[in-house]
Amino acid sequence: MDTIRLYIKSMRMLMKSQLQYPASFLMQTLAQLVMEGGEMLAVILIVDRFDRLNQWMPGDLYFFFGLMSVTFYLTEVFGRGVTGAFPGMVRSGQLDTLLLRPRGVLTQTLCSAIDPRRFACIAVGTAALALGSRLSRISWTPLKGLLLAESVLFGMLLILGLFMIEAVFCIYSVKSVELVNAITYGGRSACQYPIDIYARPLRVLFTVAAPFALVMHVPAAYILDKPLYGWPAWTAFVCPLAGAGVFAVMYLVFRRAMRHYRSTGS
Amino acid sequence: MNAYFTVFRMRWKMELQYRGAVIGGVVCQVFFGLILVSLYRALYASKPQTMPIEAVASYVWLQQAFFRMQLSSDSELMDKIRTGGIAYDLCRPLDLYGYYYVRILAQKLLGSLLRAAPMLVFAFLLPRGVGLGLPVSLPALAAFLMCLTAGLLCTCALENLTMAFTMRTLDSRGVQAMLNLLMMILSGNVLPLTLYPDSWQKVITLLPYAQVLDTPIRIYTGQYALADVPRALLIQLAWVLLLVWAGESMWRRHQKRLIIQGG
Repeated sequence: MDTIRLYIKSMRMLMKSQLQYPASFLMQTLAQLVMEGGEMLAVILIVDRFDRLNQWMPGDLYFFFGLMSVTFYLTEVFGRGVTGAFPGMVRSGQLDTLLLRPRGVLTQTLCSAIDPRRFACIAVGTAALALGSRLSRISWTPLKGLLLAESVLFGMLLILGLFMIEAVFCIYSVKSVELVNAITYGGRSACQYPIDIYARPLRVLFTVAAPFALVMHVPAAYILDKPLYGWPAWTAFVCPLAGAGVFAVMYLVFRRAMRHYRSTGS
Repeated sequence: MNAYFTVFRMRWKMELQYRGAVIGGVVCQVFFGLILVSLYRALYASKPQTMPIEAVASYVWLQQAFFRMQLSSDSELMDKIRTGGIAYDLCRPLDLYGYYYVRILAQKLLGSLLRAAPMLVFAFLLPRGVGLGLPVSLPALAAFLMCLTAGLLCTCALENLTMAFTMRTLDSRGVQAMLNLLMMILSGNVLPLTLYPDSWQKVITLLPYAQVLDTPIRIYTGQYALADVPRALLIQLAWVLLLVWAGESMWRRHQKRLIIQGG
């Protein structure tokens, strides 16, 4: 409880400091809006030209896109410490100060940064979700709403866990290894679309290694009443837990890696 | 002239230093290329288009291979302006526009050559319809290389113009990010321009962003016949001239009003 209060307090402080330069902030937010708008435009244009993607109708495609967008950028807003700031903290030796304080390193890392510009992307994602839900005529029930929330929540844990791979590499090599980002950003790009359209190797990668398909596509397909691979309904509720699994594993790896942490000094 | 050549060589050598980053970049681009090609293959399976899938695959691979030709934000100049380091550049007996143009040229040319070579080899080895196909004809390959060179000159002029914007304000991250994004969308990197609605294509292909990679690639894949090449090349060169002129006059104007920061 105490940790959560600390987190909320730091977020509020960071938010305030970000808003000190309103003009620059506004421009950068606008840029984010254009960026995510451009991604959505690509989906719209694809729908315009191809009408559908296997059994997935336009509304379904917007829904998948929106779910990924909302989840990914929520993670980037509130997990900025892990998704962006960590390599810099290792390189500059700033991480040392975190070791001195009576809180976990991961907690403090999460408390150290926020990226509110990404709210613009979340807005685009939400619009896509709404549009998709309308076009596909989703009959919402409380259960489906709950499932959507579950999918977003565990999706955030999954993405956070995947970004921690980079953090762990960074602890050992100091230099940030951008190559590792292929799995996070690549996952985002690939899994904006339902998994079953891809060839087997990609399907395995995003189901087993980086289980975007389990966390997002299985529940989303259930909400759309088109169960993925015809799996039974209960799988939609159980599969997202894979996100927590990835996070838990990465948390343990992160703890181990921290024991090997050698400060860059100076 | 000699001085510019030296600047070019220095930049070239610097770019060669970061070979590790090149390998990482290549693996990333290959991965993205594979994802995009599988997506378009799935789309084509639902509804084939007039442009064959082989051409779309080639389009994707060429875009990924020459990714480095896209606009990027050079934070170095921004830092120079913020710290006052630009004063040293002003002391050089060189035209600043030319100085930065050559630097960008070296960076983009070597950056894309280093990445393109291994990626194109890899993409050639992939099966037909997934990987990079052969150019439609030998003359088309020659025309492709010619237009690619013109595209390189065009993207350098574009980036230099963006830098001129940077001189106006101390923090232009927003403006620059926006211009770079326009580039990603309108150059065919996010979605091949050939898949845009046909009516849009008439306008988009005339914009400077399409000159950089879209025009050369269309010649490679045969979307533009050989007879169209002179027209395409003319549009490219017109943009190069216009952008260089606009960039140079803007640099000159901003240079006069430049305030040296720091102390």
